[in-house]
Amino acid sequence: MNKLYIFLKYFFIVVWTVFVVAPFLWALTTSFKDFQSVNGGVTYIPWVDFEPNLEGWKVLIKSPAKGGVDIIEPYFNSLFVTCTASLISIILGTLSAYALSRYTFKAGFVKNNDITFFFISQRIMPPIVLSIPFFLFLSSINLLDSLTGLIVVYIVLLMPIAVWIMVDFFNKVPREIDETALIDGCNPYQAFLKVVLPNSIPGLIVAGMFCIIFGWIDFFFAFILTFTEVQLLPVKIVALNSSVTPWWSLSASALVSVAPLIIVAFIVERYLSKGNLSGAIK
Amino acid sequence: MAKIDLSNISHSYNPNDPNPVYALNPFSMTWENGNRYAILGPSGCGKTTMLNIVSGLVRPSAGRILFDDKDVTDLKTEDKNIAQVFQFPVIYNTMTVYENLAFPLKCRDFSKSKTDERVNSVAETLNLKSFLNSPARKLTADQKQLISLGRGLVREDVAAVLMDEPLTVIDPDLKFRLRRNLKEINEQYKTTLVYVTHDQNEAMTFADNIIVMSEGEVVQTGSPKELFERPNTTFVGYFIGSPAMNLFESEVSSNDSVKINNNLIKTRTNLSNIKTKNIKLGIRSEFIKIAQNQNENLINVNVEKVEDLGNYKLITAKMGNFTIKSKVTRETEIPNQNVKLHIPAEKCCVYEDNKLI
Repeated sequence: MNKLYIFLKYFFIVVWTVFVVAPFLWALTTSFKDFQSVNGGVTYIPWVDFEPNLEGWKVLIKSPAKGGVDIIEPYFNSLFVTCTASLISIILGTLSAYALSRYTFKAGFVKNNDITFFFISQRIMPPIVLSIPFFLFLSSINLLDSLTGLIVVYIVLLMPIAVWIMVDFFNKVPREIDETALIDGCNPYQAFLKVVLPNSIPGLIVAGMFCIIFGWIDFFFAFILTFTEVQLLPVKIVALNSSVTPWWSLSASALVSVAPLIIVAFIVERYLSKGNLSGAIK
Repeated sequence: MAKIDLSNISHSYNPNDPNPVYALNPFSMTWENGNRYAILGPSGCGKTTMLNIVSGLVRPSAGRILFDDKDVTDLKTEDKNIAQVFQFPVIYNTMTVYENLAFPLKCRDFSKSKTDERVNSVAETLNLKSFLNSPARKLTADQKQLISLGRGLVREDVAAVLMDEPLTVIDPDLKFRLRRNLKEINEQYKTTLVYVTHDQNEAMTFADNIIVMSEGEVVQTGSPKELFERPNTTFVGYFIGSPAMNLFESEVSSNDSVKINNNLIKTRTNLSNIKTKNIKLGIRSEFIKIAQNQNENLINVNVEKVEDLGNYKLITAKMGNFTIKSKVTRETEIPNQNVKLHIPAEKCCVYEDNKLI
């Protein structure tokens, strides 16, 4: 029984690993192929099945004048917009969430839970509903086709995620912890910064991760709110496509674009596996 | 350290409601400097509200709080210089044990050497010395509670240390030792300790003064002996002591005696001013013994069961509709029939409208 359990456990782990890793392997080998190798049947092993070349990767850094797409600038644009918007969203979201969790707000029939739901409802709404208002808003303040404009829009999109995760997290942090800090001599701001916030790092990390993922992968708003001055990575990658699908350079760009998320996942996984997410209080 | 005066304090959590419900009815009380107090009462009787009012976490709906005759009612919690320990351990998870214990001193800008000295002294008392550099979150629940307690004791100048059922999560063995430690700390540093509990044994062994509460009301304040022998209300009689006080519906028969089930029981209470005829006679089971050669205050009972509880026997007997409990020594011979119990007049308490006369 025990052996069967171990066998099944490892069997499913192997199946799952293949399921997760296979697309990456496929993208990795494809990125080193050329037109002939891609269309010449199923091949996996470089130098044996096909002759690897770097054309797919070179296209990503060549300037458009030389037939490339040059994703370096959009890449850093994406990094900058995502990181800045995530950071601001986390700061604002955490402060709002703490207030919503600890203080009672009341305006007519609107109470704390309604305000929290208002934040979440921003994410329930289909993004397309927001496209025209955002477009008009950014154009009215001359921020269309600019990094600042994108950051503003992304904060609107990411802050609800931060609020949603952090309200839930703060609700699970007992009030006694704030009260103890007050009794120990902190003022309410010190209690938040010195005691509650350090205890909420796991929540901050989860919220930060979600913000980074949702910011990084957004195509829709990056597409409609930018034209020529500023471009973000997802839009640039789509621009790679042509009548003959360049699987090699698409694969290379897919790998490059997923790389920051993999790095973030590794860092976060290491932190969370230290057990900081569990047993925070009591 | 300070004398704490609570003057006409009352509190409602919905004061603006047309019919506010009071968690604490108006009361006044003085906590003398350096004494040990226990607030005793069933869950939901307002004990924690009272503590939170003193520490400043809750502002009372009415009344004033004075520390050494200085009004501190409107002072913020952080300025009140009170320490409070909660029922469940509250530790600063991201800090080491040392940093946890030093935190209240750090917030008040104590010097490094003074902080070191105080933290080490408290850690010594609470057996935490070997853990000082460990992350606080790695400790067991009872060690975590010791840290909470330590944070309360680390400041020498606190007005009082308030403890809200702090030993709930701690092993019985350690509980006993800690209670003794707390007493020693109180005697050594003359820190006023206020201990909230619903466990009467804990209250009796810890405090020199017990405040009994029921439904938001302070029903009696006094030494363990006073509460045990002269409960102010039938509630206190019932709540304190195990088993609870024997209470009998009775009628006034003369100026100093009552009639229970046709038995005349003399008391030391003057009953001449009683308006109603329906009163209650209360007597602790510890004071009811099997009659030897007394000739008054005797009642005939039928023994229903005798339980041997280790160091004493508990007799449960019937007298008409009344059930009587009596605690006797293990050696006492208990006849099967025609048992006569003696109720000592000096230990009888008479209650009119559930209040002691």
